[in-house]
Amino acid sequence: MIVRVIWEVVKFELARSLTFGRGMIWVLLVLFPIALVGILRGLDVPLEPVEPWGIMLYFLVPEVMCLLALLLWATPVISTEIEGQTWGYLALRPTGRLEVILGKYFTAVIWSLAATICSTTVCIFLMGSAGGFRLWMVMVVLCILSSFAHASLYLLIGVVFHKRTIVTAVFYTGAVEYGLSFVPAVANKMTINYRLRGLLSNWMDWEEARSAAENVFGSEPSWMHLGVLVLMTSVLLVCTLARVRWSEFPTQQVG
Amino acid sequence: MIQLHHVTKLYGEVIGVNDLCLDMQPGAYGLVGPNGSGKTTLINLLTGQLRPTLGAVKVFGEPPSNNRKLLRRLGLCPATDVLYPNVSARQWVSYLVSLHGFSKHESEELAVQSLEHVGMLSRMDRPMGEYSLGMRQRAKIAQAIAHQPDLIILDEPYNGLDPVGRQQMSDLLKRWVGEGKSLLFASHVLHEIESITSSFLLIYGGRLLASGTSEELESFISEAPQQVTLVGEDVAELVADLTRQSWVESVQLGDNRTKLKVALRDPAAFYQALPAWINGKSIRVDQLQGSQSNLTAIFDALLRNHRGEV
Repeated sequence: MIVRVIWEVVKFELARSLTFGRGMIWVLLVLFPIALVGILRGLDVPLEPVEPWGIMLYFLVPEVMCLLALLLWATPVISTEIEGQTWGYLALRPTGRLEVILGKYFTAVIWSLAATICSTTVCIFLMGSAGGFRLWMVMVVLCILSSFAHASLYLLIGVVFHKRTIVTAVFYTGAVEYGLSFVPAVANKMTINYRLRGLLSNWMDWEEARSAAENVFGSEPSWMHLGVLVLMTSVLLVCTLARVRWSEFPTQQVG
Repeated sequence: MIQLHHVTKLYGEVIGVNDLCLDMQPGAYGLVGPNGSGKTTLINLLTGQLRPTLGAVKVFGEPPSNNRKLLRRLGLCPATDVLYPNVSARQWVSYLVSLHGFSKHESEELAVQSLEHVGMLSRMDRPMGEYSLGMRQRAKIAQAIAHQPDLIILDEPYNGLDPVGRQQMSDLLKRWVGEGKSLLFASHVLHEIESITSSFLLIYGGRLLASGTSEELESFISEAPQQVTLVGEDVAELVADLTRQSWVESVQLGDNRTKLKVALRDPAAFYQALPAWINGKSIRVDQLQGSQSNLTAIFDALLRNHRGEV
């Protein structure tokens, strides 16, 4: 029953989010990396070595684009319901808290994946010989991992800070995912982006890049990066669900 | 059906509801109180959206907080509007019913039935962004009754309805009560509730002022003075006559001596004496606002009593 309800939530959320505004944002996000790669190709930047192209694509899509997409679609899941005064209608249903949040989580992941995979595919095509199936495959898997992990992170930020949600998430992203993740210390190993970069260098066998910047790409084996990502995603989701289950969110009602 | 045992809800230092004790049997009840009186806090406590700071809440014998089984038996029509502009009422109601665990087919069927019940069948496939306030109100009622709960709680259900819509809503709620189902109906407009039920809970400042039928409440306050207000240029000239009467509790002159509020222990004596005073002194009285024998009067009297004004 849980899976059926989550699927109903996903269908409803997808149907109600198919608006012109959201569609335009989606298109802009997809076009952003494509435009940059297109400009570089137009400037005749050499395609060899492949690493700079691959790192740029990784930075543009599984990092920046995924983060932007999920900032917009995962972070405000609770705050939009509270501001839209619709939370009360959901919370009164037996599955209106946990399953609805999971449904919204998967919806955000679907939106993010649709955009990032589209963009990756077109970018790899534009990159010609610097691209290839292997890079495309690695990028798609990283997009999937990034979407699930970052969505769970932003979901938790969204349910904890349901006021000024986006501001808090942007601050966290800047400070932790783009600040701390580059710091050569133990703390950077606790960031999602560090793990994703590690997987990129492992799966693409970019030893040169790794040895030049070990604090950025890490030296751990792939199974460890994957394990930490799965663990982080699970813990963040459990914390989110616990928070939603026990929270008394405002209903903005009077009387 | 509902038991409140010394329930208090605090929002930081602000009191939402204060030491509520109540035992309600199945039936229809009106929850009356002005805006900010604690009605919605009480509703949120009953539906488990809020947990009491002190005391215990039980609905159908069970605490409502995080109680999935109990939520199946409750329907709520909140006071807040619904803002899903590009979703139709059928999609919305069906979605909310599916969150009770019904299959897709059952959810669709129940949604259509409830929308038919509230007179929205012909417009249920239009996006809700195109609905009038009254149509959205009907859709809200439909989602509250669609899963066939045992108790529906309505918070200001007449908001935005035109007179025809109000009449239809009243008929719908009367039918619901007639089917033997329970109803708790919150409003700050007394006559709306009076048309549906004669059992009331009067709430003010987070406290339960009184509960019972309108007759019980009237008898409860029969000893309380009723207030009459006279408005006119010369009403101040009545003060001397009024203060000599033993049945006058208090006299209050305000608004540049043009408004006179009189608290009466024997209103009949007042109405008997008043014409002679007015004629005798040729006093001009533009308005005479008496305490009517309806709930407004009861509520006014209870509020004055609660505030220590009598």
